[in-house]
Amino acid sequence: MSKNENTLKRHMGLKAANRISNFFVYLLLIIISVVWLIPFIFIVLQSFRVESTYQVGYVIPQQWGFDNYLKLWNSDFKVWYLNTFIIALASAVLITVIQLCMSYTLSRFRFKMRGPLMRFMLILGMFPGMLTMIILYRVLSDLGLTQANAVPGLILVGVASSGMGYYVSKGFFDTIPKSLDEAARVDGATRFQVLYKIILPLAKPIVIYTILTAFMGPWGDYVFARYVAFGTSSGYNVAVGMYSWLTNDQIARMYTTFCAGGVIVAIPVTILFLCLQKYYVEGVTGGAVKG
Amino acid sequence: MKKILALVMALAMMLMLVACGPAGNQESQPPQSGGEQTNPPSQGGGEQTNPPSQGGADLSGTYDVTIWCPEAAVELTKTQVANFNSSNTLGITINATVEPVSEADAATNMITDVSAGGDLYFFAQDQLSRLIQAGALMKLGQGAADYVRTNNEAGSIQAVQSGSDLYGYPLTADNGYFMYYDKSVIPEEHVDSFEDIIADCEAANKQFSYELENAWYSAGVFFGVGCHSDWKTDDDGNFISIDDDFNSDKGLIAAKGIYKLVSSPIFVNSANADFASGSAVVVTGTWNYSTIKDQLGDNFGVADLPSFTVDGQSYHLGSYRGYKLLGVKPQSDAVKGAVLNQLAQYLTGKDCQLERFTNLGWGPSNKDAIADPDVQADPTLNALWAQNEYSVAQPNIHGSWWDIAKVITTDIKASDGSDEALKAALEKYHASLEAVFEMSDEVRNAFTVIGAVNGSSWDVDFEMTNDGDIWTSKDAFEMEAGTELKCRQGKSWDVSYGDPSTESGNYVVAEAGTYYVQLNAATGEITLVPAE
Amino acid sequence: MKQYSDLEFLRLSKWQRFTYKIAAFFCGIPKAIASLFWTVVNLIKTGCKKVADEFMDIVTTFTKGDWKTKVSFVVMGFGNIARGQILRGLLFLAFEAVFIVYMFAGGGYWLSMLGTLGVQGPTQDYDPLLDAYTTHYHDNSFKILLYGVLTIFFIIAFIYTWRTNVKQNKLSEQILRSGKKLKSGKDDLRSLVDDQFHKTLLALPLTGILIFTVMPIVFMILVAFTNYDGAHNGYSNNLFTWVGLDNFNTLLSWQGGNGGGQSYSATFGEILTWTLIWAFLATFTNYFLGMFVAMMINKKGIKLKKLWRTILVLTVAIPQFISLLYVSKMFARNGLINLALMDLGWISQPLPFWEDATWARVSVIAINIWIGIPYLMLITTGILMNIPADLYESARIDGANGWQQYTKITLPYMLFITGPYLLTSFTGNMNNFNVIYLLTGGAPTNPAASGAAGSVGYTDLLITWLFKITTGAESQYYLASVVGIMVFVVVAVISLVVYNVLPSIKNEEDYQ
Repeated sequence: MSKNENTLKRHMGLKAANRISNFFVYLLLIIISVVWLIPFIFIVLQSFRVESTYQVGYVIPQQWGFDNYLKLWNSDFKVWYLNTFIIALASAVLITVIQLCMSYTLSRFRFKMRGPLMRFMLILGMFPGMLTMIILYRVLSDLGLTQANAVPGLILVGVASSGMGYYVSKGFFDTIPKSLDEAARVDGATRFQVLYKIILPLAKPIVIYTILTAFMGPWGDYVFARYVAFGTSSGYNVAVGMYSWLTNDQIARMYTTFCAGGVIVAIPVTILFLCLQKYYVEGVTGGAVKG
Repeated sequence: MKKILALVMALAMMLMLVACGPAGNQESQPPQSGGEQTNPPSQGGGEQTNPPSQGGADLSGTYDVTIWCPEAAVELTKTQVANFNSSNTLGITINATVEPVSEADAATNMITDVSAGGDLYFFAQDQLSRLIQAGALMKLGQGAADYVRTNNEAGSIQAVQSGSDLYGYPLTADNGYFMYYDKSVIPEEHVDSFEDIIADCEAANKQFSYELENAWYSAGVFFGVGCHSDWKTDDDGNFISIDDDFNSDKGLIAAKGIYKLVSSPIFVNSANADFASGSAVVVTGTWNYSTIKDQLGDNFGVADLPSFTVDGQSYHLGSYRGYKLLGVKPQSDAVKGAVLNQLAQYLTGKDCQLERFTNLGWGPSNKDAIADPDVQADPTLNALWAQNEYSVAQPNIHGSWWDIAKVITTDIKASDGSDEALKAALEKYHASLEAVFEMSDEVRNAFTVIGAVNGSSWDVDFEMTNDGDIWTSKDAFEMEAGTELKCRQGKSWDVSYGDPSTESGNYVVAEAGTYYVQLNAATGEITLVPAE
Repeated sequence: MKQYSDLEFLRLSKWQRFTYKIAAFFCGIPKAIASLFWTVVNLIKTGCKKVADEFMDIVTTFTKGDWKTKVSFVVMGFGNIARGQILRGLLFLAFEAVFIVYMFAGGGYWLSMLGTLGVQGPTQDYDPLLDAYTTHYHDNSFKILLYGVLTIFFIIAFIYTWRTNVKQNKLSEQILRSGKKLKSGKDDLRSLVDDQFHKTLLALPLTGILIFTVMPIVFMILVAFTNYDGAHNGYSNNLFTWVGLDNFNTLLSWQGGNGGGQSYSATFGEILTWTLIWAFLATFTNYFLGMFVAMMINKKGIKLKKLWRTILVLTVAIPQFISLLYVSKMFARNGLINLALMDLGWISQPLPFWEDATWARVSVIAINIWIGIPYLMLITTGILMNIPADLYESARIDGANGWQQYTKITLPYMLFITGPYLLTSFTGNMNNFNVIYLLTGGAPTNPAASGAAGSVGYTDLLITWLFKITTGAESQYYLASVVGIMVFVVVAVISLVVYNVLPSIKNEEDYQ
């Protein structure tokens, strides 16, 4: 009897302890969520502020309106947005193809140069990419793909060097059992058929992951994009164009416009990301860790 | 297929190579696929109808021109180019692409790739020598230089000058700073006194924004007490030397002035429109006018910089006076070059400068434009002009000076304010300067001992220190009788003293011993002072 | 040092094993260097022998081959065509034709100028009639270096292809002699989607990497040996030329030289130290806090798991240039946070988030946590769920509390799985340009190092310093190249050490 009571008590004690610890976890999660959300809520609120364009000490506008969005509409922002969208779209398609080719091959095939090739690319990856900015600019400039034609230029460079980033998807392909391939090969399928009919359907998460990251990349590309499109507004992407709004000589006039631009840029990317979140998680957990 | 990969790769690379390779002429000129430089003149102007004959300067035709100007001026510049097209009598039609490029970034952008840069571009004057060095500025011809010299105020002409040549057109003369203040904190009668303003701010717990940790602002304090920091450049925009006396006794006074503010808790190192964040005084320029007006409303006040007092004497805070300039990119087509000069002259002429004043609030550099009554009535420009009396026109300054000089304020701030500490900060600055640049006057004026001294044979200069005209060698030398020596200035033989009575003209030691060498620079007389 | 046998090693505690491994690594360095030396010697030996063999093979192929083979030595692919392999033959032939045309059309010129990088800079003349100066451009050092390098690449490719062509002739002869049939063009094409499928798949990615990654890196390494900078841009002002190892001397010499009176090496050392501190803190704060958040969300009884995750991943979803720039301005001296705190009367002075060295360093690390935790949370969530539940169950039966379970089960498991990830994340953070550049731009300025190329700040990493050198007042590209090479060396050394010490670097085949 007393023994039973004891277990019961302990059980109840545990439950209570659990409830208390859950309370603290909830509290912490709420605090964290607030910290994480605050900047984004602020940026949205400030984008509707009409009464002043510089930084102020309050968040909720005294006067609400779409002035900042109107200002965006009347600036080159449209062009930058379209440029970025084109780059993002083209990158999403082409980078995905390139990276999948690369990672699939390195995961599935065993050929003489495979080891040296992977080691070579590992070493290449240790050089800071920043270093090659000047020379890539010159190559693009000789091809006529700078300034006003920066969009195809940026796509070209982004796609051409994307093969280096094969690690994540290779990690994913490594997790698909090789016996599947072998069985299909025994049945007389060519390598191409194995890829197309067996592997690709299984690799849907990583394909979507690659598309998603490739699509999101160009929205934040600043340094190289600025270098390639320098001095030509029609070749800017959103990051290059909007960056100048926060420099010392413009921030007083353009701060709230930047907020509005930020909202417009963030909305589609964020929605897309949240919709495909599931695949993103599968991609990073399946690939990133083991790559 | 064994090596098809190698083939495909090689073919792809080759296609690229062929596409970018030279198109034929291999002797001396690899073709530039980047820009219009290598095009022969007849093609340079696009649809140019009458190529200029050898004998006449016919400029008529249509020209594609890229203009870089700050974002705020883009629309206005487009209008002005349209006006030029309709008003010029030379038959020139400019097909302009106007791009927003801040005048502060012009040099960085031009240097990225000169061939892809704007044909005409607005830039801040401190970039002049970088731009000349990069080969990004066209030297003005005789006529154009005369035009600039006659029409612009003196400082602005200096701003486009390197060596004896001019390299650009002055656009504005408003790149200086003065003081905005909050009338509710600083009473009108206090605006002339640095100490009163600091006291008012401290009393009201308001800040004083003065970007003294930036040499553009801190050097002004030194100019205010009569120091100088002058640079010399040659015709190619290369720096020859600097002549700087910030480490003199006058410099110490300036350092004390700086210490007064930076040692106070109300000091804020900023030149932004800070009134919303608790400043009562901001030292900045015309570019912040509208924001500040907006922030202060009725309490808006503007004035020239105040004076500070050291040892009972008052010194007005000085400043740099700067200019915005219009540069023309070098062209390999002489006709297009001439057309660009015409356009640049129009854009920097009286009418265009006045339009910029009305629309953007930019203070003109053109003499006639300055005389305009509206310009004369402008409150901020008046504060600027009042400050001009105490300002120094900004010369071409070597880029790394800014980094060296801004440390002065940081060091002063970190010091305890004693004379020794302040002096040490200035000496540190000077030593840094000397390490990087040739010090013109210092080196040129200093005397050294040279001769058969200390085992050398007229190949080593021994340092001397001076007290007025009396120069004494730093070390004592052990010398035989009959040893010959001379003292020379600036390590050159332009000015040297020996003993005119001897055969060789050198000074000859009469009696063996250990001596300091002493020179009276006023008389040229050398004496030996026996060492103890 | 004492060598342990396998058995002894297994008896050591974890910490002892770790220190033993590190000690073993460093003690092994002299041996490794010696073995590297002998490897190199052997490589040279075998290399020479291989070249000799190749050469002999070429000669025998020529002397013993039939006339078709002999013609192929001059006209590439002739043998293939003559023996019916039209497709291969034509490709060889086309390659040779393009090579010859290219070498005459320009390749020869670029190659011949590579030694000097150009002789004639731009010249100017004055037209008195037009009152204008005209500039004539001549040699272009940059293009000479660029296309010179490309031409060398191309020549190597050509030699390789020519050698392949010779080999193929020999092979074909053998096959035909033994009475078998050669592969037809159709067979070749088919093999490209089957046996040789990997070549098809890799052709495009590798071409891109070769032209847009390998070639630029080779080029920039070469730049480190020139005086290419803003004052010698190789085209519109002065040409640049080879200067040997001068630039390495500049960066590594201990003599003062730049404006602050501090040597480049001292500046480099300071920045490197901060870069390593930053990379360490950024990696591990994110790692542990991310894991912590993931565990909280995963905790039994916590509801709305999906909502919490969604809120957190917003920082992953929203482009960094918006979130980081916005946050940087929010914490600025006259930014929202300071203004609000002052309006509330909590502070009378703005807090120096970006103006004070320590504040700025702490702030960037804190904001990096904001950016980085969600990513780590996603990664660790998956792994945490994979930890076998019975491990915990048995631990609980043994009376282990939460902390013990964490240190004995969760953490070792996590570290084991994510070891390689931590390494890449560390080197990634060393080169984390975005966070530093968008938040502080390197500020506040470090006065002692300020004279060094492109004023250096307290939060500058090597990578942002490199950027500042490139775009700074003097545009010292050569110095940027040297710094870039140094970054490579540092990253390579760290990776090497870690790979040798980490327990969880396993054979990649284990995963499959």
